[in-house]
Amino acid sequence: MNGFLEYVPGDSFLHKMNPVAKLAVALLMVFACFITPSFMVLGLILVIDFFMAYSCGMIKQTLGLSKAVAGFSVILALIALLSTPEGLLLVALPWGYIGSESVLAAIRIVLRLVAAAVPLFLVFYVTKLNDLANSLVKVCHVPYKYAFVFTSTVHFIPVFMNDMAGIMEAQTARGVEFDGGFLKKLRLMVPLCVPLLVSSVRKTNSAAIAAEVRGFNLRTRTSGYKEYPFVASDYLYMLFALLLLAASIVSSALGVLF
Amino acid sequence: MIEVKNLSFTYKEGSAPTVRDVSLSIPDGQFVGITGAAGSGKSTLTYAFNGIIPHCYPGDFYGSVLIDGKDTVETSLTDISRMVGSVCQDIDSQIVSSVVEDEMLYGLENFGVPATEIEPRMDEALDAMGISDLKYCNIASLSGGQKQKVAVAAILALRPRVLVLDEPTAELDPASSHAVFALLRDYASKRGITVIVIEQKIALMSEFADRLIIVKKGGILLDGTPAEVLENAELLQAEGINCPRATSLGNELAKRNLYAGPACRNVADALRACEIALGFEAAGANDAQAKLGAPSPAEGGQA
Amino acid sequence: MIEFRNVSASYVAEHALLKDVSFTIGKGEFVAFVGTNGAGKSTTMRLCNGLLKPMAGAVLVDGKPTTELKTSELARKVGFLFQNPDRQICCSTVRDELEFSFKAQGKLDDAARAKVDAAIERFGFDPDAEPYLLNRGTRQLLALASIIVTEPPVIILDEPTTGLDYLECVKVMEVIRDLHEQGHTVIMVCHDMEVVADYADRLIAMTRGSLVAEGPTDEILRNREVLSRADLIAPQCISIAQALCNRHPELKATAIANARTVEDLVAAIEEIRGASPCAGAANASAGTDAANGAVLPGASSSQEVR
Repeated sequence: MNGFLEYVPGDSFLHKMNPVAKLAVALLMVFACFITPSFMVLGLILVIDFFMAYSCGMIKQTLGLSKAVAGFSVILALIALLSTPEGLLLVALPWGYIGSESVLAAIRIVLRLVAAAVPLFLVFYVTKLNDLANSLVKVCHVPYKYAFVFTSTVHFIPVFMNDMAGIMEAQTARGVEFDGGFLKKLRLMVPLCVPLLVSSVRKTNSAAIAAEVRGFNLRTRTSGYKEYPFVASDYLYMLFALLLLAASIVSSALGVLF
Repeated sequence: MIEVKNLSFTYKEGSAPTVRDVSLSIPDGQFVGITGAAGSGKSTLTYAFNGIIPHCYPGDFYGSVLIDGKDTVETSLTDISRMVGSVCQDIDSQIVSSVVEDEMLYGLENFGVPATEIEPRMDEALDAMGISDLKYCNIASLSGGQKQKVAVAAILALRPRVLVLDEPTAELDPASSHAVFALLRDYASKRGITVIVIEQKIALMSEFADRLIIVKKGGILLDGTPAEVLENAELLQAEGINCPRATSLGNELAKRNLYAGPACRNVADALRACEIALGFEAAGANDAQAKLGAPSPAEGGQA
Repeated sequence: MIEFRNVSASYVAEHALLKDVSFTIGKGEFVAFVGTNGAGKSTTMRLCNGLLKPMAGAVLVDGKPTTELKTSELARKVGFLFQNPDRQICCSTVRDELEFSFKAQGKLDDAARAKVDAAIERFGFDPDAEPYLLNRGTRQLLALASIIVTEPPVIILDEPTTGLDYLECVKVMEVIRDLHEQGHTVIMVCHDMEVVADYADRLIAMTRGSLVAEGPTDEILRNREVLSRADLIAPQCISIAQALCNRHPELKATAIANARTVEDLVAAIEEIRGASPCAGAANASAGTDAANGAVLPGASSSQEVR
């Protein structure tokens, strides 16, 4: 049962990459997406996104997530469409108009968000959270406490989702019908958050104790057992991402729109 | 060696003490089972052994707890945990990682176990709990029983001098529970690790533990070897603690003057009691014990 | 009442948790499912009231497949008590919690309110108490009460006694026994073999997603082959009785062979001692006789053993 943003075991090239390098590449690609106005660069990044997803066997998950992100960004795109009257007049609105530029801006928003989201998602799918946190601590000297807060927060997501599923199951067994519209589901779920909150508070409290009795305070940067060395392919990959970023900056500076 | 002297503890939000004037001493390598009705304060008592009180819960702490001569009040929780390994009741909250291997590594890394020892220790503990095949599994996908085994294995790998386990077999099936108790007994007898277990499964504790402590309203009601404690079947019953059936059987036979030995702790003891009651000579009973001491499923095929 | 026809099921498509399982549970039965962790017992329970739908085969409740029944219809027919009451309890007072079951099924009327009052009376609850402040045992009883207050004809219990102390366990099990006596069908998953032996009429043993055996409780618990295949441990009294018979084959003809409880064993032993022609004979001969397996052993006087 693999949940949202949960590590999927594998031994692809991406799986084996240094976790810090993965994160760096993903972040470079995100910057590239946000800097470039060019559809070509965005399209190129999207192609690379899906090639990466394909290379580590994560196409199904990536498509699902892209759909979700696209759905969300469509809302933003609509707002942009209706609120930025630029370019040639296409449709007149009481408060302005929808211009050709607005349409392009709206499309750009959707493309940009999807293209930027995929590499980040992939990092989580192909990296064990612990590896990510430990390598950040080891390589980037991130204080362990922050890394721990981050990993335990993410670690608790499936635990809570599991709890919520259990609670919903128990209520379904009593006859509550969760199937139906989103609003109806929401209305039924809100009161169930009470038991979830109660168990969450209990859990976080005892989790803190449990971590402490297993030597949390002793941990230093060098405690990690696994080493995360950079190898040539990691540098190569990062260089490639830097080139993408450069292309994006150049396209932005030159004002290339397509 | 654990020395508890006149320990009383009242939680900050509580009005009455949860642990009242408890004194006991536990030698190295003893397997101690603690039980009691719900709300008897048995969990709080174990918090005193692993330093969770007074370090994590505020309250009034009277008396003292010494672990290898170190006062738990003056020793930091981290230093206590170098000696005492604990498995708490809520397994989900104890687990810090998403993958079994990382969960095992967590404590080992923190306590600075040398890298060359890490792998063997991890594999040994996983193997001892019979979950070597889960090493690379996602913890979220495991069942409650499997998670419980992972939590215990993660502590075993740390090789603490003292193990404190709060209901370590609550989610386990009878065969696995049996195996975990047998394992803990070995850790105590062969490696000299002090094992303190809280459980409702009194039949398992009677069979495997060296010592049983019955807690009532924060105080110690009974303390002794399982046979000694089980002599007080009626007192236990009155406190809502069920004796193993083997014990009840022995006691019923004793009531009818058919058996006069020590209280029966397990099936083998009760078998002997029945044989005595039926007039078979007690000779050969040792043999019987060897055969039936641990009626494990593995020998279920024997007719 | 509940029928499984060649059911296979799983949570994720690739990995079948239940493989071709068939059985029937009749009205008014008290059936316990036994087996190791991961044998598929809880999955079977979820299938029984449609929380999980079969991948292949059919689960019939009252002759209708669960796939065709609505959630509320199923809830009316099959009540489900989960292991962890905290997942079930969601209201802020005990009374609300009990009424919620009726609300969920869409029929909170005066008759329902009367049933809630009766349940509060019967269980001795404080109707205005905050459920989260109750102790674990009382919460379990409240969860149980809120399931049975709507009087579903079938009640499913997933490890109802885990985490409870002995008195709480007895309280819960007595309620369940009462229900069974009133004609409810009870289906239970339980790891405590003593509880299983004390309460269930029929056992279904499972391992790795398939049935190992089913039959009357006594029969299954005495079948060492079944127990070993399902990795189960017999209740202590049955183990003792069997060990006695194995070591002294002449006992197989006595009541010891069928003993299941402490009382059975004590009565059987007393009977043998009373009936034995050489009662009061010397111990030494008793031992030899036993070893020869020729006659029933004479009673040894316990004073001498002392």
